[in-house]
Amino acid sequence: MKYKNLLCCLAALLTLFQLQAQDQKTISGTITDQDNIPLPGVNILVDGTDQGTQSDFDGNYQIAAAEGDVLVYSYLGQQTVRRTVGASSVINVTMQEDAQALEEVVVIGYGNQEERKIIQNVGVVKEEAIENLQVTSADQLLQGQSAGTQIVNSSGVLGSASVIRVRGVNSINSGSQPLIVIDGVPITDTETNTLQRGGNTGVNPLSYVNPNDIASLTVLKDAGATSIYGSRGANGVILITTKKGRKNQQATVTLDINTQYTRATDVPEILSADEFRRFKAEVASIQQGTQVTPEDLGLGAIGSGGTDWLGGVQRTGISQRYNLGIRGGTENTTYFIGLDYQDAEGFIIGNDQQRAGARINLETEVSEWLTAGMNLGITNNRLNRVGVENNTFAPFTTAFLQSPVVSAFDSEGNFAQSGSFIPNIFAIVALDTDELKTFRTIGNFYAEITPLRNLTYRAEFGIDKLELEEFLRSAEFNTPGGVAQQIHVAEDRWLTNQTLTYANTFGESHNLTALVGLNYEETLNTRSNVSATGFLSDDLRNLGSGSTPTILNGDRNPNRLYGLFSRVSYDYAGKYLVEGSIRRDGSSRFGANNRYGYFWSAAAGWVLSSENFMANATWLDYLSLRASIGTVGNDRLGTFPSLGLFNAGAIADYNGESGVIPNQPENPDLKWEESETIDVGFKSALFGGRLNLNVSYFKKTTSDLLLNQVLPPQTGFTSISRNIGEMENSGWEFELSTVNVRTEDFEWRTNLNLATIDNQVLRLNEDAATDPQGRRIIDGPIQRAIEGESLNNFYLIRYVGVNPQTGDAEWLDADGNITTNPGSDDRVVTGSPLPDFSGGITNTFRFFDFDLSVLMNYSYGNDIVIDGLRFADGNDAIGGIVNIRRQNLNFWRAPGDNAFLPSPTSPTFNLFNQRSSLQQLDGSYLRLKNITLGYNLPQRALDQIGNIFSGVRFYFTGTNLFTIKGDDLEGIDPEVTDDIDPLFQGESFFTAPQSKSYMFGARLQF
Amino acid sequence: MKSIKILALLLGIGLVFSCDDRLDVVPEDQVASNTVFNSLATINGAVVGIYSKNQSGDLNGMAQLTGDFMADDVNFVGSFTSLQEIDNFETLATNTSIDNIWLDGYELIGAANNVIQNLPPVTDITGLDEATKAQFVAEAKFLRAVTYFKLVNLFAQPYQIAQGSNLGVPLVLQPFEGGDISAFQLERSSVNEVHAQIEQDLLEAIPDLPAENGVRAESGAAMALLARLYLYREQWTQAAEMANQVINSGNYALAGAYDFYDDNPGSSEHIFVVVNTPTDGPQEVAGSDEVYVNFYNPAPGGRGDAPFSQDLLDAFAQEPGDLRFTTLSQAATDAGGNDTFFTLKYPDVINNASDGMVLRITEMYLIRAEANLRGGTTIGATPLADINLLRDRAGLGPLGSVDLDAILNERRKELCFEGHRRMDLLRNNRNLRPGGGPESEPGANKVIFPIVEDETTNNPNITQNPGNF
Repeated sequence: MKYKNLLCCLAALLTLFQLQAQDQKTISGTITDQDNIPLPGVNILVDGTDQGTQSDFDGNYQIAAAEGDVLVYSYLGQQTVRRTVGASSVINVTMQEDAQALEEVVVIGYGNQEERKIIQNVGVVKEEAIENLQVTSADQLLQGQSAGTQIVNSSGVLGSASVIRVRGVNSINSGSQPLIVIDGVPITDTETNTLQRGGNTGVNPLSYVNPNDIASLTVLKDAGATSIYGSRGANGVILITTKKGRKNQQATVTLDINTQYTRATDVPEILSADEFRRFKAEVASIQQGTQVTPEDLGLGAIGSGGTDWLGGVQRTGISQRYNLGIRGGTENTTYFIGLDYQDAEGFIIGNDQQRAGARINLETEVSEWLTAGMNLGITNNRLNRVGVENNTFAPFTTAFLQSPVVSAFDSEGNFAQSGSFIPNIFAIVALDTDELKTFRTIGNFYAEITPLRNLTYRAEFGIDKLELEEFLRSAEFNTPGGVAQQIHVAEDRWLTNQTLTYANTFGESHNLTALVGLNYEETLNTRSNVSATGFLSDDLRNLGSGSTPTILNGDRNPNRLYGLFSRVSYDYAGKYLVEGSIRRDGSSRFGANNRYGYFWSAAAGWVLSSENFMANATWLDYLSLRASIGTVGNDRLGTFPSLGLFNAGAIADYNGESGVIPNQPENPDLKWEESETIDVGFKSALFGGRLNLNVSYFKKTTSDLLLNQVLPPQTGFTSISRNIGEMENSGWEFELSTVNVRTEDFEWRTNLNLATIDNQVLRLNEDAATDPQGRRIIDGPIQRAIEGESLNNFYLIRYVGVNPQTGDAEWLDADGNITTNPGSDDRVVTGSPLPDFSGGITNTFRFFDFDLSVLMNYSYGNDIVIDGLRFADGNDAIGGIVNIRRQNLNFWRAPGDNAFLPSPTSPTFNLFNQRSSLQQLDGSYLRLKNITLGYNLPQRALDQIGNIFSGVRFYFTGTNLFTIKGDDLEGIDPEVTDDIDPLFQGESFFTAPQSKSYMFGARLQF
Repeated sequence: MKSIKILALLLGIGLVFSCDDRLDVVPEDQVASNTVFNSLATINGAVVGIYSKNQSGDLNGMAQLTGDFMADDVNFVGSFTSLQEIDNFETLATNTSIDNIWLDGYELIGAANNVIQNLPPVTDITGLDEATKAQFVAEAKFLRAVTYFKLVNLFAQPYQIAQGSNLGVPLVLQPFEGGDISAFQLERSSVNEVHAQIEQDLLEAIPDLPAENGVRAESGAAMALLARLYLYREQWTQAAEMANQVINSGNYALAGAYDFYDDNPGSSEHIFVVVNTPTDGPQEVAGSDEVYVNFYNPAPGGRGDAPFSQDLLDAFAQEPGDLRFTTLSQAATDAGGNDTFFTLKYPDVINNASDGMVLRITEMYLIRAEANLRGGTTIGATPLADINLLRDRAGLGPLGSVDLDAILNERRKELCFEGHRRMDLLRNNRNLRPGGGPESEPGANKVIFPIVEDETTNNPNITQNPGNF
């Protein structure tokens, strides 16, 4: 955009004299689109000046211009029209829909580029695609929208992070989340800053940006796009651009208010107290060959009450959101002000969140050669957290497992102890506190100087400052003596980006853009974590009132990054395009012998549709081929991974004297993980923009993967991190968008994207464990990474079922023979958490004043393992005290039974629920992720209410309203992951389900 | 106008400062290995760190406890399957209780090697004179010797089985500082070689250690450990002489009462103690104090996993009134619900801060008595006189004569729950269990531990002990 502004300014200067010499008159007219519908809000500019206006709601406009002036009509999604002012003072314009708006400018790394000329592989989510999408967190804006960007919500728990993968997993031990850049500020990783509450996903980093403030998102995928981010680009980069004002535009005030009702999508059916008593008694009777009553088993008499734990931890969460946006601009200054408040309740008791955010984006043209601006967003968040996954303090997990015969309350209505290590979760939620407060400021100041024609110097200074405080207090009832814990984290980053851009056209058609830049960042993470025990009373709340304080952490972790980069793009007449970039990154994290990494890319493109020989193919609007190759790195290695370190503090003291003790051996060779990507593809637009198809293929080879080489203990160390591993990802990505129907009153569009990913581990460390075939492996309890195969393989004993004749549970041994007593040697590859393909489908409909958008996302061919089923199925888990799913009532009683559970007298009865493919389920699904129905009040209705509003919109949004999934998944959500660790994908203990929500709202525009 | 633009551009370029030298960031909460030897404080800290490692519950705690479970003083009642394996002489290389003994042992040895190798060349440090430097190196050598002795006793057959020619443990004498690991994939040295290294370390440490050094190693500690080494090697004269030297050094004396177990590191009884304090803070795995206090005490306060064995109760019952039983035991219920007795040698269940006995003066009297008896000498005193001295403190009447059984019985009652019994039985060729079978005989495969799996899988040169591991 800045190049355009620049050119405009220069043109303005040149035409200055001319303008003064001419007489002005008022031009008016109506602007319509190709279907003759009036277009409001079209920008009209007298070319070469900054005089401009906008069309009103009926498409009418007026502007002062002189004969011979050129009027430029521009509107998002329409082809720009230029008209020369003649004798007539009426100019009516019919605008044509742009072929997928390829003239638009797209945000890329350290710059912008015309979409038509992009030869990087980027996924773009534009403002118009998301402006009517009502979401509560920014990551939901990306879900299902862009091929190759997979987002798995970890659960419906408020504040839980999504696992975001751009083109799969590219690291084993160093993090696979993409780099997120908000208005030029790469934000810090936050997952390590909060306490884990079971699972390993932390708090959502994208909860710190208000989705209503977002103008567009760009996902940088290939090396051509990411190598400009050097040592941080290997997992892809997500660029988030917030809304800006528009010049010469009256202030528009948008107020959005909505209310949302939230429930769990689906929960398993578990036994009621009496079903549990009958089941246990019947099983015991069969096993002992004599009548056993529930009382004999200490479960109380039938009908003697119990607790519906699962019902008790759920509720209908009611949330309210208020969002205010003010947007406008004068001749020299544009502004956007955003305010946001939400008070959200999760569907799990004890889980709620209040978030307030504010943003101001301001830009002003100080003079013709200087533009300055600032983007600043602050968020204040208070989250009441609940445990998740394998954690006895997690409401959902514990409600599944807690015996239904246990009473939550005693006869006087007070909380009762559960009597086992699974606590009374009602008491935990009611009496304990787990409050996370965060305050985050992300913003930058920038100045753009154009000292010479075609040359732009831009300086940016940004900050990302996170203040986080988490407070826990467990009451006497739940933890004798009480316990308090307070963790305080400050993660401060400041950075500067400085770029010099030269853009020029030589001769008729040689276009050159060259960029050089510098990027320096300092990040400091400060943490204190203190706990205290021994509280006299629950009313004594804080650390200082406990008798025994313990400092668990108190440390500061600094790191610094210094990058120099350059990118040169050249095209001939917009037909033949080449681009190259290089970046040198120095990082305090890298070893002394590898302090600097060089990353580069080269890309070429050919716009066939601009060739003369294609001129006859009028059905073809646009077709380009492109290819790129390049390298990027991953610098998430920890703070001082290469230094030899001695630990100090409590671990090294003796009798009150301070000491130091070796902790980490030196590794001066340690460096970034490096990915080399080849990417080829084509982009096309056909039939007047009715059909767009983009296809790309990539192959990404990641080497120098950081692996822990296990050391012989006689070194005095357990392991050392070394750059050893190699891995390859390859895949296809398809994006198809069509305009199926387009009439004046009805329009139907479809966007479909699909991506495949194939992962192969090429090399693990030499001393890695090996399997019987001699292949190196990384073995986990459920998954196994195998050299030569995928990083993620479910590696389990194969479960067959209950033999209808014998009543025994049967498995397969390693050779495929039936066995009733399998061992760990019988584990084989049983499935994969990686889908064959995944993506999203969006259908949007417009019918008179109604619009409907239906977003579905899907995943096909992946498996998931719900490890908690080892407890929720069978009779004996944890001594048989836990509740179980209803299908367990179907146990084998007589020959011919097709039972779920083996015969109680079978020797396999208590082996049944051992870890096996029984807990592995088909994770394929198609989900109605978001459906939004909107109604815009027509102009005449607005007129009738006195034109107080310039626009009124009522909407309904439903999320996760239905999911098509396998029968095995009844009560289980297919979107699971309890860990961001690449080695634990598609695993869950008991993920709390996603939320199903209904939102009603109104958007008023003044 | 033009000049302002140029000025602005220059200002902008001025911001393009060079950042290369800003990338050297120094850790604030850890000490980089290249700066450890830059000041007296951190050098002293590196030595203190070795003592801190010696506080690991695996080196002082689990190492003694597992030996006691194998021998006949202590019953095993708990639920830890790894300890049950040890108790049943079925220990596997994957046993989770022994792998940290091996690992922590070599971690301590690595920390000591770091001081022994890297401190001597250091010069020009304010406040660090040659004597202090020598003392620091000597302390590291003492702690290295203590640890090698511990490892060789647990992971190798004792000297008596093949006169020390059998495999001991790998002798690592330099610190691992990153890079190539081939120098740290050593085969095990023989027991004699390990013992020779221990002897050399202690002999070199004795002149450089001060006679008084608070809770840190003193010359008497090195001599006392050497006396034990000579005793285990049946070098009777040297054992008796070394023990005699410690007794006559004047730095230690038998305590009047058994009050030295309860947080009394200044007692004249102590030669070298692992001092645990309430503020030791979180330790790796578990602290020494936690292991001792947890296992040797009944609930509440402890786990109640390690009560007196019936055999030890019987031994005390033969001579009623022994203060070492009456003042140092308590009746309680063990983890299995049985009424029995627990030792009071690790009494601090409140703070988990009971100290670990490593070397105390009583052991020197016992060594002198046993060595004199076996060697036919009377260096310092007669065996009878030494034994009666200890019996007198225990409130028992004097004996008229002593033989080896009497000395070992006295040694047992004196040192029970302090981790000595297993080696005392093995080196005297006695079955670890009264009436025990071949599995607990001296020389049996599993009266010692297997080399741990982490070592065998990552070191192709290592030889595993015989037996099905």
